[in-house]
Amino acid sequence: MSYLHPSLAAVLTLLIHGSAVAATLSVSVTDAAGRPLPDAVVMLEPASGRLPVKPMAGVEVGQAARQFTPAVTVVTVGTPVNFPNHDTVRHHVYSFSPAKTFELKLYAGVPATPVVFDKPGVAVLGCNIHDQMAAWIVVVDTPHFARTTTAPAHLAGVAPGNYRLKAWHPSLPADVAPPATPITVGADDQAATVRLATRAAP
Amino acid sequence: MTRPEPLLQTLKGLTRRSLGVRIVLLFLGLLLAVQAVSFIAIRATIDRNARTSIAGSLVAGDHLLHRLLDQNAQKLIQGASLLAADYGFRSALASHDNDTIASVLANHGDRIGATVSALLDTGFVLRAAAQPGLEELQPAIYRLAERAASAKPASEIVVLGRRPFQLVLVPMRAPVVVGWVLMGFPIDRPLMDEMRDLSSLHVSLQVRDHGQTEWRTAVSTLPLEAVSALDAHTPDTSLELPDGEYSSRQVTLAQGTTGDVTALLMRSVDEAVAPYRRLQLGLGALTLLGVVVFAVGSVLTARRVTTPIRRLAAAAERLGAGDYTTPLSGRHRADEIGELAQSFERMRMNIADQQQEILKLAYWDTLTGLPNRVQFRNAVTEATEAARTAGRSVAVVMLDLDRFKHVNDVLGYRFGDLMLKGVAERLVQQAVRGGDLVARLDGDEFAVLLADLDPANDQALAQSVAQRINQAMDRSLTLEDQSVDISASIGVALWPHHAADTDTLLSRAEVAMYSAKRRRDGPTVYDPKLDASSSQTLSLLTELRHAVDHGELRLYLQPKLGLDTARVVGAEALMRWQHPQRGLVPPMEFIPFAEQTGFVRVLTMWIFEQAAREWKRLHDNGLQLTLSVNLSTRDLLDQELPQKFEALLIRHTVPAEAFCLEITESAIMDDPERALGTLERLNGLGFRLSIDDFGTGYSSLAYLKRLPVDELKIDKSFVLSMERDLDDARIVRSTIDLAHGLGLTVVAEGVENAQAWELLRALHCDEAQGFHMSRPLPADEFLRWSMLWTARHAQPALPAGSGPDISVTLH
Repeated sequence: MSYLHPSLAAVLTLLIHGSAVAATLSVSVTDAAGRPLPDAVVMLEPASGRLPVKPMAGVEVGQAARQFTPAVTVVTVGTPVNFPNHDTVRHHVYSFSPAKTFELKLYAGVPATPVVFDKPGVAVLGCNIHDQMAAWIVVVDTPHFARTTTAPAHLAGVAPGNYRLKAWHPSLPADVAPPATPITVGADDQAATVRLATRAAP
Repeated sequence: MTRPEPLLQTLKGLTRRSLGVRIVLLFLGLLLAVQAVSFIAIRATIDRNARTSIAGSLVAGDHLLHRLLDQNAQKLIQGASLLAADYGFRSALASHDNDTIASVLANHGDRIGATVSALLDTGFVLRAAAQPGLEELQPAIYRLAERAASAKPASEIVVLGRRPFQLVLVPMRAPVVVGWVLMGFPIDRPLMDEMRDLSSLHVSLQVRDHGQTEWRTAVSTLPLEAVSALDAHTPDTSLELPDGEYSSRQVTLAQGTTGDVTALLMRSVDEAVAPYRRLQLGLGALTLLGVVVFAVGSVLTARRVTTPIRRLAAAAERLGAGDYTTPLSGRHRADEIGELAQSFERMRMNIADQQQEILKLAYWDTLTGLPNRVQFRNAVTEATEAARTAGRSVAVVMLDLDRFKHVNDVLGYRFGDLMLKGVAERLVQQAVRGGDLVARLDGDEFAVLLADLDPANDQALAQSVAQRINQAMDRSLTLEDQSVDISASIGVALWPHHAADTDTLLSRAEVAMYSAKRRRDGPTVYDPKLDASSSQTLSLLTELRHAVDHGELRLYLQPKLGLDTARVVGAEALMRWQHPQRGLVPPMEFIPFAEQTGFVRVLTMWIFEQAAREWKRLHDNGLQLTLSVNLSTRDLLDQELPQKFEALLIRHTVPAEAFCLEITESAIMDDPERALGTLERLNGLGFRLSIDDFGTGYSSLAYLKRLPVDELKIDKSFVLSMERDLDDARIVRSTIDLAHGLGLTVVAEGVENAQAWELLRALHCDEAQGFHMSRPLPADEFLRWSMLWTARHAQPALPAGSGPDISVTLH
């Protein structure tokens, strides 16, 4: 398989509806073969400038049965995240990602202080003791984000204007930034599809 | 080409002649053939085995090499994995400080002996490297990445800086794959040496840069000069290197963008075959030893077989040459040869016994134990040979018993045998000189050899010996209380006077002996006149035959007169030979000879025919006479005589009663049965029969009675001496009485004077014949004389003397 840059693989389709002030954007995310990808994170950032965001509260990425739960967490910039250990064994949670580098050395129970994710990006979490444990915290700097399930993700209340539509999925390589697609949102609800050049699920 | 042929011929000749050589050659040939076949088979098997084993070891080497490379890769992967999982390294990675990252890579690479260590991002792009110049590896890395697609470690052999390298790619997780660690080390001498230690194969790694066609040897366990030869060589399955032949197997290790790497596994064929070669050498030595042992063994066996056979052949040769005295060796062997030798030995002894028996039969007379004729003849030959060189002479005295047949007939054969033994004994003990050889030749015939005589008195000496024998025989022999008178007829012949060779000498002695038998006057020395086969006799026979054919014979008649009337009653027919040169030949000179040769039968027929003719003439002139004709022994034995006489009677128309046939006693005694048969047939024809010379023989009265005779003729010897000798007179009287008693007419011969005539008349003799009346007269004269006599003697009276004629009668 040849190496392809994700941005080159992105395909956008726009459908225009009605004439409301705030519109809803439905985004379908598919893998390279065109199959819908659940648990993909989509975010919409203004083409210029920045929309105000609030840190989220009470976000936890727990460890139970030697797994992170949930595996994928989306937080806004500045959100503190707690990592409570529900297992009887200790964990050593770390992240070498540029979005947030930290480590919580061997601990049990709930660490004293939560970790604040103050930069947008994707932090990959691992446990230094249990190699098979992995979790992602996607730090977004926009209020428009959503996750796909088996159905497309819905971004509601989007004011018309020019945006960058980003989509991310855990199967994307860790050191690659999510591809951004320019998109103009009108008054009507519209739908978009993002194809990700993903690898086979790890 | 000319030399081997005689050699081959010699060998062929040798095998044909010698059983031993054939056995040896056969054994050796068989052994060599078997050895050659097994040698070829072993050699082929060895070769096949060696090549199979080489091929097998090459395949095993192939596996081993891959295994070693795999092990190396695993070691490297483990090292790289450790590095990839190292928290500090991952921390350094997070720092994005490439220098730090490079130093960490170098540090870890050194720890595991990797000469290449680098970090790749998730897109397999080189991010940091411990060594410079690894960019050229990028294509190879992408190829490796394809194999590492499922985030697992992968390894690959590449060409880097014209050397083969083994690269491994290990994912780096934090915890998802955040990059890849690349590590590599050169495939180098130590690995090849290990390979060589484990497999005893030579290994050459050959490298070909991308796009090139020339292979280059990167590393090899071969010696240097072999390596350079290898470079020039396109690898295939068989290699010819300076140190020998190699079988090889090419194993492709890498084929890619950086270049191609192959491992050439090589096995020295010589090295693989060496143990087999030693085995073959051993076998060769064993074969050689076997040939020597077989050669010696078969030579010994052949000797064991052929030596006794040769001995037997030599023994058979001896037997063939007549040597029956040497016993055979090797009879005590238990095998077939021993049996053969025993058979030979039995054969030898049997032949020796038979030989002795044959010799005995051949040279000795079984009855008397004297040498037989064969031995006697040989002795005579030897004696004449010896005498020839010494200038001496040899005599043979031969004797035949008289009347032996009669003895046998009367007293039996057993007695005859006893008599022969007695005679033999007497001969040996009394008659001969010491050293004279006495032999029994046949039946009643004996002979004495007198060898080494002085030629001056040889005949006298031989005669004296003969005389002594004669005297020895004269004395009667007493056997089983019976006394038998014996006598022998003895003949003598001398060498070289009478014969030049043995057989002639013996036959001359025999002639003399038969002559003595006839003449009855003692031992006779050979004289050619006695011999029917001598040249003198042959010419006489011719003349006699001529005489018969040309009328030289004359018929003479001597009158027979009746004593009572003095009338002529008959005549005896006699024969005279009027020889053209010799004049009148007396009968004594040719009659005995004619009897010997059998010619007498011709004479008898002649005289009978003349007598018949004359009787007819006399009868025509009024004379009724009986004519007497003499028959010899030969005539009596002639079965056809009666028929011939009858034919003549018919031809001349004369009666048989007109003839009287005179037979001597001895003529009858030679073969009495046959003679009697003839006489009876003659009698049956009507002939009168007369016994001539009665009183000289040995006829018994009983025998005389059996004869169909009519007349007795008293021998003239009695008549002549009758007047002086009283005994003879008595014999004459007794004979006359006896004859008359038997009803026979009696005739007296040899009446020469009137006294005799008167005496005979007084004794009542019937007829008389003699010079007193007339000598034998020619036929013509006889008629005249008869007429005259009849006229003169009309009355019976004393016949007057008629002159001193000599009477010659046929005997």
